[in-house]
Amino acid sequence: MSDSRHERLADVLVDFCAGVREGDLVTLESTTLAAPILRALYRRVLAAGAHPLPRISLEGMSESLLKYGNEEQLSWENPVRADDVETVDVRIVLEAAGNTKRLSNIDPARLARQQRSAERLRNRYLERAAAGELRWVLTAYPTEAAAQDASMSFAEYEDFVFGSAFLDDPDPVARWREFGERIDRIAGFLASKRQLRVVSDGTDLRLNVEGRAWISAKGRENLPDGEVFTAPLETSVDGEIRFTYPAVFNARQVDDVRLRFEAGEVVEATATRGEEFLREMIGMDEGARRVGEFAFGLNEAVPVFTRNILFDEKIGGTVHLALGTAYPESGGLNRSALHWDLICDLRSGSEVYADGELVYRDGHFLYGTNGWSD
Amino acid sequence: MDPRYERLAEVVLDHSLALKPGQVLRIEAEAVAAPLFLPLHREAIKRGAHAYAAIDLGGLKELLVAHGSEDQLSFVSPIALREMDTIDAAITIWSETNTRSFSRADAERRKRQLAADQQLAMRRRDRISRGEIRWCGTLCPTDAHAQDADMSLEEYEDFVFRACHVLDSDPVGHWRRIGERLQARAAELGTVRELRIVGEDTDLAVVVEGRTWRPAYGIQNLPDGEVYTSPVETGINGTIRFGFPAIFGGREVDDARLRFEDGRVVASEAAGGEPYLKALLGMDEGAAAAGEIAFGLNYEIDRFTRNILFDEKIGGTMHLALGMGFEDLGGRNRSALHLDLICDLRREGEVYADGELIWRSGSFLREPEPARDIAHVR
Repeated sequence: MSDSRHERLADVLVDFCAGVREGDLVTLESTTLAAPILRALYRRVLAAGAHPLPRISLEGMSESLLKYGNEEQLSWENPVRADDVETVDVRIVLEAAGNTKRLSNIDPARLARQQRSAERLRNRYLERAAAGELRWVLTAYPTEAAAQDASMSFAEYEDFVFGSAFLDDPDPVARWREFGERIDRIAGFLASKRQLRVVSDGTDLRLNVEGRAWISAKGRENLPDGEVFTAPLETSVDGEIRFTYPAVFNARQVDDVRLRFEAGEVVEATATRGEEFLREMIGMDEGARRVGEFAFGLNEAVPVFTRNILFDEKIGGTVHLALGTAYPESGGLNRSALHWDLICDLRSGSEVYADGELVYRDGHFLYGTNGWSD
Repeated sequence: MDPRYERLAEVVLDHSLALKPGQVLRIEAEAVAAPLFLPLHREAIKRGAHAYAAIDLGGLKELLVAHGSEDQLSFVSPIALREMDTIDAAITIWSETNTRSFSRADAERRKRQLAADQQLAMRRRDRISRGEIRWCGTLCPTDAHAQDADMSLEEYEDFVFRACHVLDSDPVGHWRRIGERLQARAAELGTVRELRIVGEDTDLAVVVEGRTWRPAYGIQNLPDGEVYTSPVETGINGTIRFGFPAIFGGREVDDARLRFEDGRVVASEAAGGEPYLKALLGMDEGAAAAGEIAFGLNYEIDRFTRNILFDEKIGGTMHLALGMGFEDLGGRNRSALHLDLICDLRREGEVYADGELIWRSGSFLREPEPARDIAHVR
């Protein structure tokens, strides 16, 4: 089967998102379920004069390790993966799960241990990315499992995924450039602010972002994309927030999460379901109870929650914050083995104030105010 | 789930690799090998090893050969080269989704891409021969291989698992016993000066004096079951007919007949693919001389299936390879070719060792004297 959207997705990922150049070493990372797009990507990377290095996993491998591995095995760092992280020029990573719940019955403590063992490499690649030595892009390839999580048929889900990446547009790259210019203006506006206050049902949260960089995520490192994010000052987050969507981490779901912050730290965490898992994750390490990211979701082509953070955090009209590690390029100092995004829908009955001024209401920035316009 | 895959995994890990806790194990396979790959990975984890995957998708190398630039075709990843130095054990699962996918590829370009792959294989081969890593090649049944064998997948699975003896009550014990027996056989053959092979249209004298015979009992291949050496390069005379097709580079030569004089092929014919056979013989200086002579001794492999992993071990056959010899067995022939040709001796074959009849109709006439010590044999 040849879906012309596969070819277009490969073109957008290789030429636009990752900007693959002649001679680049490019890892193509996914599961065997992504075979059709992996072949399209492989060919596209060749066409760019670069060297494709497939890094393909079979679903079930991580499960075996988590179930049967001893301490030493769980914390083992594969030297080949380490070599990849130090050596390659580009990583193209595609999610493609056959069963998103296969780790549901794994002991959370073991999950957390494996998560910690992966931390050094994760930080190294983020460092190399921040230093401009490595480009990467994360995307999702539609599978039945993901469609099921999104409560859609496979055909509907394919349309959703490809639509969210603007692949139905005659010129997806032009569309992403135009979109990027628009959200650059939002990031520029936010960069002039110090204090943000988010108010919604069950939420009144204050955070200080002074001196931190607001970064437009406009189709380079994620596809789909569409958010502006920063890292709040580590001790500045105060108040409470209620997350309207279930929080999903390592396929585990936690419902109706409410967090109370004092001086940047979570001092109270409750959930109607999965509270124990929530506490386990927050207790993972020192940085896991602090905020590493705060962001506005801005992609209107992602209108619904699909239980996949790659999409959910970009839902137009939401904000999200992440517990745990910060992206170095945003200026955040928090470090943790955790990076858990929690999403709050602001599309009705919600307001955001910047330095005391109302700048956002019911899912939209208020245009034409404060000396900026769109 | 079919328990036979797990049992094959156990034989590979416990017998072939003797895998130990803390060892780094690389498992190389195509995605289609998942039914064997997953139990191998899981059982390796249970044994305390650090197992990881190097998975290929059918069709990627084909894209490289079709579309790659010169630079891309001959590229060897520095990461892949370094990787060979970090592993303690390796498994290759030779399973394919399509065994003919390179049939229409440009032969020159395919050769260049294979030469790049070969650099990695040589690096691994060096470490294996220095005893630094253990390696085993095996196969997970797929429709493509079943099709080549003229079988259904179910029939082919039965064939493969029988050949690997995974249904025995103690498969590892079986392969150890085969090891003892073949070691003794190899030791006995090591005292022979000349073999004479007599069969249908076949009367060939092969000097093996001073060469080492090696027993193959499931360490580097599964299934296994052969003893082999490299014959004396100038010591082959007579004629031989190979009843089974010979396959090289995905192309077949049927019913080949060769005449040797002083170790070199002086006449060749084949019922099918004769021009290809002659082209192979002319490939380089060493291509017209033999690099290997062997007895196939796995009697669960009772038919030709177009896969050399199995075919060269068919119980009751001998095979002779034109081209590259085994240096560590005393072989001196060098060539880019290693073409295994299989001679069926099951019906009317006889083999004489220095004039004494030792084999008739597909089997040795008597068991070898038990060897005293097999501890040094790998």
